[in-house]
Amino acid sequence: MKGNIRNFYVTAILFCFAILLSSFVRVAGVADKLAMPYKKAGLTTEQAAAHLLSRFTYGAQPGQVEEVTKMGLEKWLKKQLEAKADDEQLNQMLSKYDAIGFSNSQVEDDFPQGPRVRRWAVRDGYLHKDSLSNGNSKYQREILQTYMKDKGYRPLQELYRQFFNQKILRAAYSENQFKEIMTDFWFNHFNVALNKTQCASFVPAYERDVIRPNVFGSFENLLLATAKSPAMLMYLDNSSSSGVNVPMEDQEMMGMNDMGMSAQQKAKKNERVKKIKQQIQNKKKQGGLNENYAREVMELHTLGVDGGYTQNDVTQAARVLTGWTVAPLGKEGYGAANRNIIERLGANALRDKGFVLDGDFFFNANRHDNGEKVVLGKKFPAGGGYEEGEALLKMLAQHQSTAKFISKKIAVRFVNDTPPSSLIDKMAKTFTSSKGDISSVIITMVNSPEFWSEQALREKTKSPFELAMSAVRSLKAEIDQPFQLYSWINRMGQQMYYYQAPTGFPDNGQYWINTGSLLNRMNFGLALASQRIPGVKLNLAALNSNREPESVEAALVTYSKLIMPERDLGKTVARLKPMLNDPNLQQKVAKAADQNSAKKDANNKGMEMQSMNEVPLKEEKLKFGNGKKANENPTIKMQAGSNTMLAQVVGVIIGSPEFQRK
Amino acid sequence: MVSRRGFLKSGGLALFGIGLGGIPGFLADAVAGTVTPSLFKKKKIMVCIFQRGAMDGLMAVTPFTDKFLKAARPSLFMTAAKGAANDKPLIDLDGRFGLHPAMAAFEPMFREKRLGIVHGIGSPNNTRSHFDAQDFMESGTPFKKGTTSGWLNRAVGLLGHEAASPFQGVSLTSSLPRSFYGENPAVAIKNLADFNIQLRGNVAGAKMASKSFEDLYDQTSSDLLKNTGKESFDAIKMLQKTDVKNYKPENNVVYPATALGNSLKQIAQLIKMDVGLEVAFAESGGWDTHFNQGKDTGVFARNVNDLSNCMMAFWNDLSRYQDDVTVMTMTEFGRTVAQNGTGGTDHGRASCNFILGNAVNGGLVHGVVNPLSKDNLEDGRDLAVTTDFRSVFSEVADVHLGIENDKVLFPDFDGKKIGVMRG
Repeated sequence: MKGNIRNFYVTAILFCFAILLSSFVRVAGVADKLAMPYKKAGLTTEQAAAHLLSRFTYGAQPGQVEEVTKMGLEKWLKKQLEAKADDEQLNQMLSKYDAIGFSNSQVEDDFPQGPRVRRWAVRDGYLHKDSLSNGNSKYQREILQTYMKDKGYRPLQELYRQFFNQKILRAAYSENQFKEIMTDFWFNHFNVALNKTQCASFVPAYERDVIRPNVFGSFENLLLATAKSPAMLMYLDNSSSSGVNVPMEDQEMMGMNDMGMSAQQKAKKNERVKKIKQQIQNKKKQGGLNENYAREVMELHTLGVDGGYTQNDVTQAARVLTGWTVAPLGKEGYGAANRNIIERLGANALRDKGFVLDGDFFFNANRHDNGEKVVLGKKFPAGGGYEEGEALLKMLAQHQSTAKFISKKIAVRFVNDTPPSSLIDKMAKTFTSSKGDISSVIITMVNSPEFWSEQALREKTKSPFELAMSAVRSLKAEIDQPFQLYSWINRMGQQMYYYQAPTGFPDNGQYWINTGSLLNRMNFGLALASQRIPGVKLNLAALNSNREPESVEAALVTYSKLIMPERDLGKTVARLKPMLNDPNLQQKVAKAADQNSAKKDANNKGMEMQSMNEVPLKEEKLKFGNGKKANENPTIKMQAGSNTMLAQVVGVIIGSPEFQRK
Repeated sequence: MVSRRGFLKSGGLALFGIGLGGIPGFLADAVAGTVTPSLFKKKKIMVCIFQRGAMDGLMAVTPFTDKFLKAARPSLFMTAAKGAANDKPLIDLDGRFGLHPAMAAFEPMFREKRLGIVHGIGSPNNTRSHFDAQDFMESGTPFKKGTTSGWLNRAVGLLGHEAASPFQGVSLTSSLPRSFYGENPAVAIKNLADFNIQLRGNVAGAKMASKSFEDLYDQTSSDLLKNTGKESFDAIKMLQKTDVKNYKPENNVVYPATALGNSLKQIAQLIKMDVGLEVAFAESGGWDTHFNQGKDTGVFARNVNDLSNCMMAFWNDLSRYQDDVTVMTMTEFGRTVAQNGTGGTDHGRASCNFILGNAVNGGLVHGVVNPLSKDNLEDGRDLAVTTDFRSVFSEVADVHLGIENDKVLFPDFDGKKIGVMRG
């Protein structure tokens, strides 16, 4: 007995040690592998840090370039890849959103979709079915509201709102910035959209449970997780795809060799085969195969459109994936029919008959086409059940075309819109040798000179989301109402979570920059800096440690550097100087500011001059050449909330072409 | 990728420059409004209205002699016979089809043969999901989800000339619809008045910032930002030539104060401003009538009334441009032949659409609607799709916009036309 216990301890200690060792080896391995050739590319460590921050965060915060330089670039990136930084402050902010942690079942229970609520309201006697609508939608709405209140149901819009808000807060404040960037990247790669109501309820859990935990790991796991998720199963219709299930003994009968059979046996067999074929024919007529997911999993998720598959491969793959559907969710939610099967059979029989119930995923063996299939030349023998679907996805995940396709997509995201094939080849090689380990592919990318080349630096155009987040981060803004930013991002041309096509948003500057959206980017800069976005607070003075710039020009230089560290800003500053030196500028700004804050300022105009936050500008530097009333209001107002020259300068910087790039 | 942002780019300049000389100055004058920019003149304009939610084509244009329909819709069926108790009769178009009485505004256009109707139009893909059907109709590839572009974007690309302005393809929506996804330039503008550098409550500040931005973008090293910046500021100047907010429609037209009315009014403004508009898109909602859709009054009647009144206001406002404009409606699918248990109709297959224009083969109900006996219905319940939507869309685009390459406009489509356009 004693010996047993001792053995147990020894084993346990050894086991723990092994885990420790393996994790050490793994991390050390990653760190060892990191060797970023930025010096060879002629960059200073600060410049390289700024480039890293531009690629793997939602924008550098003031002082962050120095921080990363001090920590060491390799160490910083390693920590980002581990993504274990403490996010206590963020979690505090997120804690007021109660539904962002809901499971799909909880969502189905608490946020039922509109048509269902209406049906239930009729069932429960709140609404008479003849009184529905009938021109009095207001009446109906009120009753439905009462019904929802009585039952404790909440409107789906509220869930969406919380979901948008968390996305924005995470991007703005998470310490694990790279993880958030990759979550965005993979979500877009495996896009699902709220405009498809059938999948909409499941989108929050999709991002949280399917995408975010898998962003740096094995591509295969990520692919499999998306394939089995309710959001994807509904979005690309695989949940409703079904095939003909022919019992195994019948399949054997059909493939049986006639040799050695008596004439009677032969006749009997033929009769039976004829009958089976007729049954298959009948079932086929009922339809049921849906190829949407099978096509897109090859075209968009793995091989790429030129990945070397045919229409026949699509059909065959669709057959492999028949029966992959959504488990019953919630009390009255999706999947009532499957609930009956599950309850009737019980766990053991379910497993014995080839069904699979795995979280929110359900493999319905009755709907699975269990005949033989051939995809990309690989044979899937009859009777493969659920496992053949997994085998298919693994094959796709490790395919050569996939290695290339995914590597290119990552390079497009992090290098430039047209990355060189030399880089893609290196990354693809790592993809293949590491069996699709995403971190390894990223490390190969940053270890390549292409990542640090002239063609990569500042060559990406920020998406509207990235623009908004980088602005907020560079100004250390306090976000109380994230949804306000969501609306602005929408206005700038990115309706997040509503990109209808399974392709996801295109990842190139051409797509983001067009006439209407560009104007809104400029307007966003102005609105943000002048504090016209409700619930987004700034303290511009604090950014510069409450030191006042000596002149408007100095303000321009100082804040340009704060907002866009390690950039050549000569041109931007040179272009803006004449504007600032406009002889009438001061009057114009003063007038504008007065118009704005006329009421507020009416009583304390005299006080303002001596305000702690305002320091008179040195006039000689300002070249206000009009000679009259140059000192009428010679200040840069630094208070949060004031609409001043400084806000104007910062607004123009945020809207400037240089800030649209990263 | 070849950029089609030709406005003021060297390629575009060269195109306009033939035989004109001194182009930059000419363009600058045009933009400054000192010279009327005649280079955009005589462009044809196709306006598409998407009726989201699936319009009940059998109620909009009813085969009123069909006894099966009458039986299947005991409380929804209308006839063209006058004097039926309380109900307004349908407008008898041809002895077989009747136009919903709330669409009386359309009747004169139909009689003048400028309004054509296609019945039995729909998608070869039999999905009855709004999302999927809209997606397929807008991408123009009914069996392919992954198509990156929308058919209107491809239409813009096939116009055969560089964009004369950023307003070549415009959607009057807050974000770009699937139809306009793609690499050719297209703008989503909900409200023309917002197309400016703005700073709420601070006009002077906005003006100053605008000047700064214009300078900055003019000097930037990125061609994309530089060219688009220039486009944007030129576009602002174009729009500023007219008082967008106080627009007065011609011919005493009053647009319905609805979302669609507002959208069409702004499209009319863009056409009259002559800013190079060629493909426009607007939306109309509320067609998913599962509950008490009504007959001559009620929700469906209000919807078709709005649709027809908006389109006619637009048409009459543009009396000087009618040869240049064609308007086409579309909806993702139709509704069940039989009414459901709540006085409405459920998701079906074929619907009908309306095409208005001087080159339309009007005064006819095109397409095939067989008697609605059960064995003639798709899946035993729905009006069968007898005309592929791509046939009608491509014919209108081909004839009106002079597009020749149907294989690009609608890949995988056999190209058959049914003669909805003259010429």
